[in-house]
Amino acid sequence: MSAPLLQAQGLTRRYRLPRQSFFQSPPVLTAVDNATFSINAGETLGIVGESGSGKSTLARLVMAFETPDEGQVLFRGQCPHTVSNRELRTMRQQFQMVFQDPYGSLDPRRKIGWSIAEPLRATGADGDPTKQVDEALEQVGLHYSDAAKYPHEFSGGQRQRIAIARAIVTRPALLVADEAVSALDVSVQAQVLNLMMDLQDELGLGILFISHNLAVVASICDHLLVMQRGKTVESGAAADILRAPSNPYTQSLLNAAGVAL
Amino acid sequence: MIELANLTASFDGAAALRDATLSVAPGDRLGVVGESGSGKTLFALCLMGMAPDAANLSGSIHVDGQDMSVASESDWQAIRARRVAMVFQEPMAALNPLRRVGVTVAEPLMVHEGISRQAALARALALFKEVGINEPEARLRQFPHQLSGGQRQRVLIALALACNPALLIADEPTTALDASVALRITDLLVRLAKERQMALIFISHDLATVARATNEIMVMYGGDIVERGPTTDVLETPIHPYTKGLLAALPKWLIAQRDAEGKRSRLATIPGSVPPLPELPQGCRFAGRCQNELANCATERPALQQKSVGRSAACHLLDRDAS
Repeated sequence: MSAPLLQAQGLTRRYRLPRQSFFQSPPVLTAVDNATFSINAGETLGIVGESGSGKSTLARLVMAFETPDEGQVLFRGQCPHTVSNRELRTMRQQFQMVFQDPYGSLDPRRKIGWSIAEPLRATGADGDPTKQVDEALEQVGLHYSDAAKYPHEFSGGQRQRIAIARAIVTRPALLVADEAVSALDVSVQAQVLNLMMDLQDELGLGILFISHNLAVVASICDHLLVMQRGKTVESGAAADILRAPSNPYTQSLLNAAGVAL
Repeated sequence: MIELANLTASFDGAAALRDATLSVAPGDRLGVVGESGSGKTLFALCLMGMAPDAANLSGSIHVDGQDMSVASESDWQAIRARRVAMVFQEPMAALNPLRRVGVTVAEPLMVHEGISRQAALARALALFKEVGINEPEARLRQFPHQLSGGQRQRVLIALALACNPALLIADEPTTALDASVALRITDLLVRLAKERQMALIFISHDLATVARATNEIMVMYGGDIVERGPTTDVLETPIHPYTKGLLAALPKWLIAQRDAEGKRSRLATIPGSVPPLPELPQGCRFAGRCQNELANCATERPALQQKSVGRSAACHLLDRDAS
Protein backbone atom coordinates (compact mmCIF):
# COMPACT_ATOMS: atom_id res chain seq x y z
CA MET A 1 0.00 0.00 0.00
CA SER A 2 1.31 3.42 -0.92
CA ALA A 3 1.19 6.41 1.40
CA PRO A 4 -2.29 7.38 2.59
CA LEU A 5 -4.25 9.93 0.62
CA LEU A 6 -4.82 12.06 3.67
CA GLN A 7 -3.06 12.13 6.98
CA ALA A 8 -4.11 14.22 9.94
CA GLN A 9 -1.81 14.47 12.93
CA GLY A 10 -2.77 15.93 16.27
CA LEU A 11 -5.38 18.26 14.78
CA THR A 12 -6.62 20.72 17.36
CA ARG A 13 -8.98 23.63 16.95
CA ARG A 14 -10.00 25.95 19.77
CA TYR A 15 -12.62 28.65 19.77
CA ARG A 16 -12.76 31.59 22.15
CA LEU A 17 -16.23 31.88 23.60
CA PRO A 18 -17.83 35.22 24.53
CA ARG A 19 -16.45 36.75 27.69
CA GLN A 20 -18.54 35.74 30.71
CA SER A 21 -17.27 38.41 33.04
CA PHE A 22 -15.27 41.56 32.42
CA PHE A 23 -12.46 40.52 34.70
CA GLN A 24 -11.98 37.00 33.45
CA SER A 25 -10.37 35.89 30.25
CA PRO A 26 -12.96 34.43 27.87
CA PRO A 27 -13.46 30.66 28.13
CA VAL A 28 -11.99 28.50 25.38
CA LEU A 29 -13.82 25.64 23.74
CA THR A 30 -11.66 22.91 22.27
CA ALA A 31 -13.86 21.80 19.37
CA VAL A 32 -11.37 19.28 18.06
CA ASP A 33 -8.74 17.92 20.40
CA ASN A 34 -5.70 16.13 19.07
CA ALA A 35 -7.36 14.15 16.26
CA THR A 36 -5.12 11.79 14.35
CA PHE A 37 -6.32 9.70 11.43
CA SER A 38 -5.61 8.79 7.83
CA ILE A 39 -7.66 7.93 4.77
CA ASN A 40 -6.52 5.70 1.91
CA ALA A 41 -7.71 6.01 -1.65
CA GLY A 42 -10.87 4.01 -2.23
CA GLU A 43 -11.65 3.77 1.47
CA THR A 44 -14.17 5.42 3.75
CA LEU A 45 -13.48 6.83 7.18
CA GLY A 46 -16.60 7.44 9.23
CA ILE A 47 -16.71 10.17 11.87
CA VAL A 48 -19.41 9.51 14.46
CA GLY A 49 -20.64 11.49 17.43
CA GLU A 50 -23.55 13.55 18.70
CA SER A 51 -24.09 17.18 17.79
CA GLY A 52 -21.44 19.36 19.34
CA SER A 53 -18.85 16.61 19.31
CA GLY A 54 -16.69 18.40 16.76
CA LYS A 55 -17.46 16.35 13.65
CA SER A 56 -18.17 19.31 11.41
CA THR A 57 -15.19 21.30 12.70
CA LEU A 58 -13.02 18.35 11.78
CA ALA A 59 -14.48 18.39 8.26
CA ARG A 60 -13.84 22.13 7.98
CA LEU A 61 -10.23 21.62 9.02
CA VAL A 62 -9.74 18.90 6.42
CA MET A 63 -11.35 21.12 3.78
CA ALA A 64 -9.03 23.98 4.79
CA PHE A 65 -11.99 26.23 5.52
CA GLU A 66 -10.36 26.67 8.91
CA THR A 67 -6.80 26.55 10.15
CA PRO A 68 -5.90 24.24 13.02
CA ASP A 69 -4.35 25.71 16.18
CA GLU A 70 -2.11 22.67 16.41
CA GLY A 71 -1.31 19.69 14.27
CA GLN A 72 -1.36 19.37 10.53
CA VAL A 73 -3.20 17.88 7.61
CA LEU A 74 -1.14 16.27 4.90
CA PHE A 75 -2.93 15.74 1.64
CA ARG A 76 -0.75 13.65 -0.66
CA GLY A 77 2.16 14.90 1.37
CA GLN A 78 1.19 18.56 1.02
CA CYS A 79 -0.35 20.66 3.79
CA PRO A 80 -3.27 22.77 2.55
CA HIS A 81 -2.93 25.08 5.54
CA THR A 82 0.58 26.23 4.74
CA VAL A 83 0.53 26.54 0.94
CA SER A 84 -0.13 29.90 -0.68
CA ASN A 85 -3.69 30.91 -1.51
CA ARG A 86 -2.98 30.44 -5.20
CA GLU A 87 -1.72 26.91 -4.64
CA LEU A 88 -4.63 26.13 -2.32
CA ARG A 89 -7.04 27.20 -5.04
CA THR A 90 -5.67 24.60 -7.41
CA MET A 91 -5.29 22.06 -4.65
CA ARG A 92 -9.01 22.29 -3.90
CA GLN A 93 -9.68 20.36 -7.09
CA GLN A 94 -8.41 17.38 -5.15
CA PHE A 95 -10.84 17.56 -2.23
CA GLN A 96 -14.50 18.52 -2.42
CA MET A 97 -17.41 18.49 -0.05
CA VAL A 98 -21.07 17.43 -0.01
CA PHE A 99 -23.24 19.22 2.56
CA GLN A 100 -26.22 18.06 4.53
CA ASP A 101 -29.07 20.16 3.22
CA PRO A 102 -29.72 19.65 -0.50
CA TYR A 103 -32.17 22.57 -0.38
CA GLY A 104 -29.75 25.06 1.13
CA SER A 105 -26.61 24.15 -0.79
CA LEU A 106 -27.79 24.95 -4.34
CA ASP A 107 -28.44 28.51 -5.51
CA PRO A 108 -32.17 28.54 -6.36
CA ARG A 109 -31.69 31.25 -9.01
CA ARG A 110 -29.03 29.45 -10.98
CA LYS A 111 -29.46 26.56 -13.36
CA ILE A 112 -27.87 23.47 -11.92
CA GLY A 113 -25.35 23.27 -14.76
CA TRP A 114 -23.98 26.59 -13.53
CA SER A 115 -23.84 25.36 -9.93
CA ILE A 116 -22.09 22.15 -10.89
CA ALA A 117 -19.47 24.07 -12.91
CA GLU A 118 -18.77 26.43 -10.01
CA PRO A 119 -15.89 24.37 -8.51
CA LEU A 120 -14.27 24.31 -11.98
CA ARG A 121 -14.37 28.09 -12.17
CA ALA A 122 -13.38 28.56 -8.54
CA THR A 123 -10.32 26.36 -8.78
CA GLY A 124 -9.32 27.49 -12.25
CA ALA A 125 -9.61 24.04 -13.81
CA ASP A 126 -8.67 23.48 -17.45
CA GLY A 127 -10.83 21.85 -20.06
CA ASP A 128 -14.32 22.28 -21.38
CA PRO A 129 -16.66 22.85 -18.42
CA THR A 130 -19.81 21.81 -20.32
CA LYS A 131 -18.34 18.43 -21.11
CA GLN A 132 -17.20 17.88 -17.54
CA VAL A 133 -20.60 18.89 -16.16
CA ASP A 134 -22.37 16.50 -18.53
CA GLU A 135 -20.05 13.72 -17.45
CA ALA A 136 -20.59 14.42 -13.76
CA LEU A 137 -24.38 14.45 -14.24
CA GLU A 138 -24.22 11.10 -15.96
CA GLN A 139 -22.08 9.64 -13.21
CA VAL A 140 -24.69 10.47 -10.58
CA GLY A 141 -27.51 9.00 -12.65
CA LEU A 142 -28.97 12.21 -14.08
CA HIS A 143 -29.28 13.27 -17.72
CA TYR A 144 -27.08 15.94 -19.32
CA SER A 145 -30.19 17.85 -20.33
CA ASP A 146 -30.91 18.37 -16.61
CA ALA A 147 -28.12 20.97 -16.56
CA ALA A 148 -30.56 23.55 -17.93
CA LYS A 149 -33.05 23.08 -15.07
CA TYR A 150 -33.38 24.93 -11.77
CA PRO A 151 -33.04 23.27 -8.34
CA HIS A 152 -36.77 23.55 -7.57
CA GLU A 153 -37.50 21.15 -10.43
CA PHE A 154 -35.79 18.33 -8.56
CA SER A 155 -36.70 16.19 -5.55
CA GLY A 156 -34.55 16.11 -2.41
CA GLY A 157 -32.76 12.95 -3.48
CA GLN A 158 -32.05 14.33 -6.95
CA ARG A 159 -30.70 17.54 -5.42
CA GLN A 160 -28.30 15.55 -3.31
CA ARG A 161 -27.19 13.79 -6.51
CA ILE A 162 -26.60 17.24 -8.02
CA ALA A 163 -24.56 18.23 -4.96
CA ILE A 164 -22.50 15.06 -5.43
CA ALA A 165 -22.08 15.84 -9.14
CA ARG A 166 -20.75 19.27 -8.16
CA ALA A 167 -18.33 17.65 -5.74
CA ILE A 168 -16.93 15.16 -8.26
CA VAL A 169 -16.77 17.49 -11.25
CA THR A 170 -13.16 18.46 -10.52
CA ARG A 171 -12.24 14.74 -10.30
CA PRO A 172 -11.22 14.93 -6.65
CA ALA A 173 -9.34 12.23 -4.80
CA LEU A 174 -11.14 12.93 -1.52
CA LEU A 175 -14.79 13.57 -0.84
CA VAL A 176 -15.92 15.00 2.49
CA ALA A 177 -19.59 14.19 3.13
CA ASP A 178 -20.98 16.02 6.17
CA GLU A 179 -24.30 14.34 7.08
CA ALA A 180 -24.87 14.03 3.34
CA VAL A 181 -27.72 11.51 3.63
CA SER A 182 -29.22 12.61 6.96
CA ALA A 183 -31.92 14.82 5.46
CA LEU A 184 -33.09 12.18 3.00
CA ASP A 185 -35.96 9.70 3.20
CA VAL A 186 -35.06 6.07 3.83
CA SER A 187 -35.45 4.83 0.25
CA VAL A 188 -33.66 7.87 -1.21
CA GLN A 189 -30.94 7.54 1.41
CA ALA A 190 -30.28 3.98 0.23
CA GLN A 191 -30.04 5.19 -3.39
CA VAL A 192 -27.57 7.95 -2.52
CA LEU A 193 -25.43 5.64 -0.33
CA ASN A 194 -25.26 3.13 -3.18
CA LEU A 195 -24.28 5.94 -5.54
CA MET A 196 -21.45 6.98 -3.24
CA MET A 197 -20.19 3.40 -3.06
CA ASP A 198 -20.41 3.07 -6.86
CA LEU A 199 -18.46 6.30 -7.39
CA GLN A 200 -15.92 5.24 -4.83
CA ASP A 201 -15.30 1.91 -6.55
CA GLU A 202 -15.24 3.57 -9.97
CA LEU A 203 -13.06 6.59 -9.20
CA GLY A 204 -11.08 5.30 -6.22
CA LEU A 205 -12.32 8.15 -4.05
CA GLY A 206 -11.33 8.41 -0.43
CA ILE A 207 -14.37 9.47 1.57
CA LEU A 208 -14.58 11.20 4.92
CA PHE A 209 -18.12 10.33 5.93
CA ILE A 210 -19.66 12.23 8.82
CA SER A 211 -22.89 10.93 10.29
CA HIS A 212 -24.74 10.53 13.53
CA ASN A 213 -26.54 7.48 12.14
CA LEU A 214 -24.56 4.40 13.04
CA ALA A 215 -26.55 2.03 10.84
CA VAL A 216 -25.71 4.20 7.83
CA VAL A 217 -22.08 4.37 8.87
CA ALA A 218 -21.98 0.58 9.24
CA SER A 219 -23.08 0.10 5.65
CA ILE A 220 -20.42 2.28 4.01
CA CYS A 221 -17.38 2.81 6.26
CA ASP A 222 -14.15 0.83 6.46
CA HIS A 223 -12.74 2.74 9.41
CA LEU A 224 -14.38 4.66 12.18
CA LEU A 225 -13.50 7.50 14.51
CA VAL A 226 -15.84 8.17 17.42
CA MET A 227 -15.80 11.70 18.84
CA GLN A 228 -17.15 13.06 22.09
CA ARG A 229 -16.81 16.74 22.98
CA GLY A 230 -13.88 17.14 20.61
CA LYS A 231 -11.93 14.14 21.83
CA THR A 232 -11.36 10.94 19.92
CA VAL A 233 -12.75 8.25 22.20
CA GLU A 234 -12.32 5.31 19.87
CA SER A 235 -10.94 4.63 16.42
CA GLY A 236 -10.16 1.63 14.28
CA ALA A 237 -11.73 -0.79 11.83
CA ALA A 238 -15.48 -0.14 11.57
CA ALA A 239 -16.36 -3.82 11.91
CA ASP A 240 -14.40 -4.17 15.17
CA ILE A 241 -15.84 -1.05 16.76
CA LEU A 242 -19.44 -1.81 15.82
CA ARG A 243 -19.22 -5.44 16.92
CA ALA A 244 -17.36 -4.85 20.16
CA PRO A 245 -17.17 -1.18 21.18
CA SER A 246 -14.61 -0.79 23.95
CA ASN A 247 -15.60 2.71 25.00
CA PRO A 248 -18.73 3.35 27.10
CA TYR A 249 -19.66 6.37 24.97
CA THR A 250 -19.58 4.30 21.78
CA GLN A 251 -21.69 1.69 23.55
CA SER A 252 -24.24 4.31 24.54
CA LEU A 253 -24.36 5.59 20.93
CA LEU A 254 -24.97 2.05 19.73
CA ASN A 255 -27.70 1.53 22.31
CA ALA A 256 -29.36 4.82 21.41
CA ALA A 257 -29.34 3.85 17.75
CA GLY A 258 -31.62 0.97 18.71
CA VAL A 259 -30.05 -2.03 17.07
CA ALA A 260 -33.61 -3.40 17.18
CA LEU A 261 -34.51 -2.91 13.53
CA MET B 1 -63.17 9.83 19.95
CA ILE B 2 -61.98 11.03 16.57
CA GLU B 3 -63.41 9.44 13.48
CA LEU B 4 -62.44 10.12 9.91
CA ALA B 5 -64.39 8.74 7.00
CA ASN B 6 -63.14 8.97 3.43
CA LEU B 7 -61.33 12.20 4.16
CA THR B 8 -59.87 13.53 0.93
CA ALA B 9 -57.88 16.71 0.47
CA SER B 10 -57.04 17.90 -3.00
CA PHE B 11 -55.18 20.86 -4.44
CA ASP B 12 -56.30 21.98 -7.91
CA GLY B 13 -57.92 18.60 -8.50
CA ALA B 14 -54.85 16.60 -7.46
CA ALA B 15 -55.55 14.59 -4.32
CA ALA B 16 -52.81 14.87 -1.68
CA LEU B 17 -54.81 12.74 0.74
CA ARG B 18 -57.27 10.12 -0.49
CA ASP B 19 -60.06 8.49 1.49
CA ALA B 20 -58.41 8.45 4.87
CA THR B 21 -60.64 6.42 7.16
CA LEU B 22 -59.67 6.00 10.75
CA SER B 23 -60.95 6.03 14.27
CA VAL B 24 -58.88 6.84 17.31
CA ALA B 25 -59.85 5.75 20.81
CA PRO B 26 -58.32 6.82 24.14
CA GLY B 27 -55.08 5.00 24.83
CA ASP B 28 -54.38 4.17 21.18
CA ARG B 29 -50.83 4.75 20.05
CA LEU B 30 -50.86 4.98 16.28
CA GLY B 31 -47.75 5.47 14.17
CA VAL B 32 -47.98 7.15 10.78
CA VAL B 33 -45.08 6.27 8.52
CA GLY B 34 -44.28 7.52 5.06
CA GLU B 35 -41.73 9.52 3.12
CA SER B 36 -41.85 13.21 2.20
CA GLY B 37 -44.94 13.96 0.18
CA SER B 38 -46.85 10.94 1.44
CA GLY B 39 -49.47 13.15 3.08
CA LYS B 40 -48.53 12.51 6.72
CA THR B 41 -48.43 16.11 7.80
CA LEU B 42 -51.52 17.10 5.79
CA PHE B 43 -53.31 14.25 7.52
CA ALA B 44 -52.26 15.60 10.93
CA LEU B 45 -53.29 19.14 10.02
CA CYS B 46 -56.73 17.85 8.96
CA LEU B 47 -57.16 16.28 12.40
CA MET B 48 -56.49 19.70 13.92
CA GLY B 49 -58.81 21.49 11.50
CA MET B 50 -55.80 23.34 10.13
CA ALA B 51 -55.72 22.13 6.52
CA PRO B 52 -54.44 24.88 4.20
CA ASP B 53 -57.15 27.13 2.72
CA ALA B 54 -56.22 26.01 -0.78
CA ALA B 55 -57.14 22.41 0.04
CA ASN B 56 -60.46 21.12 -1.23
CA LEU B 57 -61.81 18.80 1.46
CA SER B 58 -64.42 16.08 1.29
CA GLY B 59 -65.43 13.24 3.58
CA SER B 60 -66.11 13.67 7.25
CA ILE B 61 -64.38 14.25 10.57
CA HIS B 62 -66.19 13.60 13.84
CA VAL B 63 -64.68 14.68 17.14
CA ASP B 64 -66.51 13.30 20.18
CA GLY B 65 -69.48 12.64 17.90
CA GLN B 66 -69.62 16.23 16.69
CA ASP B 67 -69.53 16.58 12.90
CA MET B 68 -66.60 18.87 12.23
CA SER B 69 -67.09 19.08 8.47
CA VAL B 70 -69.68 21.81 9.09
CA ALA B 71 -67.75 23.32 12.01
CA SER B 72 -66.64 26.92 12.06
CA GLU B 73 -63.16 28.10 12.99
CA SER B 74 -64.36 28.92 16.52
CA ASP B 75 -65.73 25.38 16.94
CA TRP B 76 -62.28 24.11 16.02
CA GLN B 77 -60.64 26.50 18.44
CA ALA B 78 -62.70 24.99 21.25
CA ILE B 79 -61.39 21.57 20.30
CA ARG B 80 -57.75 22.44 19.72
CA ALA B 81 -55.58 22.26 22.82
CA ARG B 82 -58.41 20.81 24.93
CA ARG B 83 -59.23 17.73 22.88
CA VAL B 84 -56.51 17.55 20.26
CA ALA B 85 -53.04 19.04 20.61
CA MET B 86 -49.94 18.86 18.49
CA VAL B 87 -46.16 18.75 18.95
CA PHE B 88 -44.17 19.97 15.97
CA GLN B 89 -40.86 18.94 14.51
CA GLU B 90 -38.71 22.00 14.97
CA PRO B 91 -38.93 23.16 18.59
CA MET B 92 -37.01 26.37 17.95
CA ALA B 93 -39.43 27.46 15.24
CA ALA B 94 -42.49 26.52 17.27
CA LEU B 95 -41.57 28.62 20.30
CA ASN B 96 -41.75 32.40 20.42
CA PRO B 97 -38.12 33.47 20.92
CA LEU B 98 -39.12 36.68 22.72
CA ARG B 99 -41.22 34.97 25.39
CA ARG B 100 -40.20 33.17 28.52
CA VAL B 101 -41.13 29.53 28.03
CA GLY B 102 -43.19 29.50 31.24
CA VAL B 103 -45.47 32.21 29.83
CA THR B 104 -45.77 30.33 26.54
CA VAL B 105 -46.95 27.20 28.37
CA ALA B 106 -49.27 29.19 30.68
CA GLU B 107 -50.98 31.03 27.83
CA PRO B 108 -53.38 28.27 26.63
CA LEU B 109 -54.46 27.76 30.25
CA MET B 110 -55.34 31.43 30.61
CA VAL B 111 -57.14 31.47 27.25
CA HIS B 112 -58.99 28.17 27.41
CA GLU B 113 -59.59 27.78 31.12
CA GLY B 114 -59.76 31.43 32.08
CA ILE B 115 -57.51 31.04 35.10
CA SER B 116 -55.22 33.77 36.44
CA ARG B 117 -51.67 34.22 35.25
CA GLN B 118 -50.31 33.13 38.60
CA ALA B 119 -52.42 29.96 38.69
CA ALA B 120 -51.49 29.21 35.09
CA LEU B 121 -47.77 29.58 35.88
CA ALA B 122 -48.19 27.20 38.81
CA ARG B 123 -49.79 24.68 36.44
CA ALA B 124 -46.95 25.25 33.95
CA LEU B 125 -44.47 24.38 36.71
CA ALA B 126 -46.32 21.13 37.41
CA LEU B 127 -46.27 20.34 33.67
CA PHE B 128 -42.52 21.04 33.48
CA LYS B 129 -42.01 18.54 36.30
CA GLU B 130 -44.23 15.98 34.58
CA VAL B 131 -42.28 16.13 31.32
CA GLY B 132 -38.96 15.85 33.13
CA ILE B 133 -37.48 19.31 32.68
CA ASN B 134 -34.61 19.72 35.12
CA GLU B 135 -34.60 22.79 37.40
CA PRO B 136 -38.20 23.53 36.40
CA GLU B 137 -38.54 26.71 38.51
CA ALA B 138 -35.57 28.34 36.82
CA ARG B 139 -36.60 27.15 33.34
CA LEU B 140 -39.98 28.85 33.57
CA ARG B 141 -38.23 32.19 33.39
CA GLN B 142 -35.85 31.29 30.56
CA PHE B 143 -36.09 32.00 26.86
CA PRO B 144 -36.07 29.27 24.17
CA HIS B 145 -32.47 30.03 23.11
CA GLN B 146 -31.26 29.22 26.61
CA LEU B 147 -32.55 25.65 26.39
CA SER B 148 -31.09 22.64 24.59
CA GLY B 149 -32.99 20.98 21.74
CA GLY B 150 -34.27 18.19 23.97
CA GLN B 151 -35.39 20.65 26.67
CA ARG B 152 -37.19 22.75 24.05
CA GLN B 153 -39.03 19.70 22.79
CA ARG B 154 -40.04 18.94 26.38
CA VAL B 155 -41.38 22.49 26.71
CA LEU B 156 -43.43 21.97 23.54
CA ILE B 157 -44.80 18.73 24.95
CA ALA B 158 -45.72 20.52 28.19
CA LEU B 159 -47.43 23.19 26.09
CA ALA B 160 -49.40 20.57 24.17
CA LEU B 161 -50.41 18.83 27.39
CA ALA B 162 -51.46 22.04 29.16
CA CYS B 163 -55.20 21.63 28.60
CA ASN B 164 -55.25 17.83 29.06
CA PRO B 165 -55.91 16.84 25.45
CA ALA B 166 -57.46 13.46 24.74
CA LEU B 167 -55.32 13.09 21.62
CA LEU B 168 -51.75 14.22 21.15
CA ILE B 169 -50.40 14.40 17.60
CA ALA B 170 -46.61 14.40 17.41
CA ASP B 171 -45.36 15.32 13.93
CA GLU B 172 -41.75 14.18 13.59
CA PRO B 173 -41.08 15.11 17.24
CA THR B 174 -37.60 13.60 17.33
CA THR B 175 -36.27 14.27 13.84
CA ALA B 176 -34.30 17.37 14.84
CA LEU B 177 -32.74 15.72 17.89
CA ASP B 178 -29.65 13.61 18.60
CA ALA B 179 -30.23 9.86 18.74
CA SER B 180 -29.99 9.47 22.52
CA VAL B 181 -32.14 12.56 23.18
CA ALA B 182 -34.66 11.35 20.58
CA LEU B 183 -34.90 8.08 22.44
CA ARG B 184 -35.71 9.82 25.73
CA ILE B 185 -38.35 12.05 24.09
CA THR B 186 -39.96 9.02 22.44
CA ASP B 187 -40.10 7.19 25.75
CA LEU B 188 -41.50 10.30 27.44
CA LEU B 189 -44.36 10.50 24.92
CA VAL B 190 -45.18 6.82 25.45
CA ARG B 191 -45.11 7.22 29.23
CA LEU B 192 -47.39 10.28 29.10
CA ALA B 193 -49.84 8.54 26.77
CA LYS B 194 -50.06 5.58 29.15
CA GLU B 195 -50.28 7.62 32.35
CA ARG B 196 -52.90 9.99 31.01
CA GLN B 197 -54.87 7.42 29.01
CA MET B 198 -54.28 9.76 26.10
CA ALA B 199 -54.33 8.74 22.46
CA LEU B 200 -51.06 9.37 20.62
CA ILE B 201 -50.56 9.76 16.89
CA PHE B 202 -46.86 9.56 16.21
CA ILE B 203 -45.82 10.71 12.76
CA SER B 204 -42.31 9.90 11.60
CA HIS B 205 -40.28 8.71 8.67
CA ASP B 206 -38.04 6.86 11.10
CA LEU B 207 -39.31 3.30 11.38
CA ALA B 208 -37.18 2.42 14.40
CA THR B 209 -38.66 5.30 16.43
CA VAL B 210 -42.21 4.45 15.40
CA ALA B 211 -41.62 0.82 16.32
CA ARG B 212 -40.61 1.93 19.80
CA ALA B 213 -43.47 4.37 20.34
CA THR B 214 -46.57 2.75 18.93
CA ASN B 215 -48.66 -0.41 18.98
CA GLU B 216 -50.39 0.23 15.69
CA ILE B 217 -48.99 1.55 12.44
CA MET B 218 -50.33 3.12 9.29
CA VAL B 219 -48.13 3.31 6.21
CA MET B 220 -48.82 6.11 3.75
CA TYR B 221 -47.67 6.60 0.19
CA GLY B 222 -48.73 9.37 -2.18
CA GLY B 223 -51.67 10.38 0.04
CA ASP B 224 -53.07 6.86 0.39
CA ILE B 225 -53.08 4.62 3.43
CA VAL B 226 -51.45 1.55 1.89
CA GLU B 227 -51.15 -0.66 4.93
CA ARG B 228 -52.38 -0.83 8.52
CA GLY B 229 -51.89 -3.21 11.38
CA PRO B 230 -50.20 -3.89 14.71
CA THR B 231 -46.71 -2.32 14.63
CA THR B 232 -44.68 -5.49 15.18
CA ASP B 233 -46.70 -7.48 12.64
CA VAL B 234 -46.38 -4.85 9.93
CA LEU B 235 -42.63 -4.47 10.48
CA GLU B 236 -42.01 -8.21 10.65
CA THR B 237 -44.29 -9.38 7.84
CA PRO B 238 -45.11 -6.40 5.61
CA ILE B 239 -47.83 -7.02 3.02
CA HIS B 240 -47.75 -4.03 0.70
CA PRO B 241 -44.84 -3.89 -1.78
CA TYR B 242 -44.10 -0.31 -0.68
CA THR B 243 -43.82 -1.30 2.98
CA LYS B 244 -41.59 -4.17 1.95
CA GLY B 245 -39.38 -1.87 -0.13
CA LEU B 246 -39.15 0.67 2.68
CA LEU B 247 -38.07 -1.93 5.21
CA ALA B 248 -35.57 -3.44 2.79
CA ALA B 249 -33.99 -0.04 2.16
CA LEU B 250 -33.12 0.46 5.83
CA PRO B 251 -29.42 0.06 6.53
CA LYS B 252 -29.49 -3.18 8.51
CA TRP B 253 -26.35 -3.06 10.56
CA LEU B 254 -24.74 -5.14 7.89
CA ILE B 255 -21.23 -4.09 8.54
CA ALA B 256 -19.51 -3.16 5.31
CA GLN B 257 -17.55 -6.21 4.22
CA ARG B 258 -15.48 -6.15 1.10
CA ASP B 259 -15.37 -9.21 -1.11
CA ALA B 260 -12.25 -10.45 -2.89
CA GLU B 261 -12.52 -7.62 -5.44
CA GLY B 262 -12.97 -5.04 -2.72
CA LYS B 263 -16.67 -4.45 -3.40
CA ARG B 264 -19.20 -3.88 -0.65
CA SER B 265 -22.76 -5.07 -0.77
CA ARG B 266 -25.26 -2.43 -1.84
CA LEU B 267 -28.45 -1.48 -0.02
CA ALA B 268 -31.79 -2.54 -1.44
CA THR B 269 -33.60 0.39 -3.04
CA ILE B 270 -37.02 1.25 -4.37
CA PRO B 271 -36.44 2.23 -8.00
CA GLY B 272 -37.37 5.74 -9.13
CA SER B 273 -38.71 8.52 -6.95
CA VAL B 274 -42.08 9.79 -5.79
CA PRO B 275 -43.63 11.65 -8.75
CA PRO B 276 -44.96 15.18 -8.19
CA LEU B 277 -48.57 15.32 -6.97
CA PRO B 278 -50.35 15.94 -10.30
CA GLU B 279 -48.39 13.10 -11.94
CA LEU B 280 -49.24 10.41 -9.39
CA PRO B 281 -51.03 7.48 -11.01
CA GLN B 282 -54.80 7.52 -10.55
CA GLY B 283 -54.88 3.84 -9.60
CA CYS B 284 -52.46 2.56 -7.04
CA ARG B 285 -50.13 5.45 -6.18
CA PHE B 286 -47.19 3.06 -6.10
CA ALA B 287 -47.73 1.92 -9.69
CA GLY B 288 -44.68 2.58 -11.83
CA ARG B 289 -42.27 1.88 -8.96
CA CYS B 290 -43.69 -1.46 -7.87
CA GLN B 291 -41.76 -4.64 -8.68
CA ASN B 292 -44.91 -6.79 -8.92
CA GLU B 293 -47.10 -4.49 -10.94
CA LEU B 294 -50.23 -5.94 -12.54
CA ALA B 295 -51.96 -4.65 -15.67
CA ASN B 296 -54.71 -2.79 -13.82
CA CYS B 297 -52.53 -1.21 -11.10
CA ALA B 298 -51.95 2.19 -12.73
CA THR B 299 -55.61 2.78 -13.57
CA GLU B 300 -57.64 0.88 -11.00
CA ARG B 301 -57.38 1.85 -7.40
CA PRO B 302 -57.04 -1.02 -4.90
CA ALA B 303 -59.25 -0.72 -1.82
CA LEU B 304 -57.86 -1.04 1.67
CA GLN B 305 -58.95 -4.59 2.48
CA GLN B 306 -58.61 -6.71 5.53
CA LYS B 307 -56.08 -9.51 5.23
CA SER B 308 -56.29 -10.91 8.73
CA VAL B 309 -57.49 -9.65 12.10
CA GLY B 310 -56.42 -6.05 12.48
CA ARG B 311 -54.29 -6.10 9.35
CA SER B 312 -55.20 -4.52 6.07
CA ALA B 313 -53.46 -3.37 2.90
CA ALA B 314 -54.43 -1.74 -0.38
CA CYS B 315 -52.93 -3.85 -3.14
CA HIS B 316 -54.28 -5.71 -6.17
CA LEU B 317 -51.88 -8.56 -5.47
CA LEU B 318 -54.12 -9.55 -2.56
CA ASP B 319 -57.07 -10.09 -4.95
CA ARG B 320 -54.90 -12.08 -7.32
CA ASP B 321 -53.54 -14.26 -4.54
CA ALA B 322 -57.04 -14.80 -3.14
CA SER B 323 -58.59 -15.90 -6.44
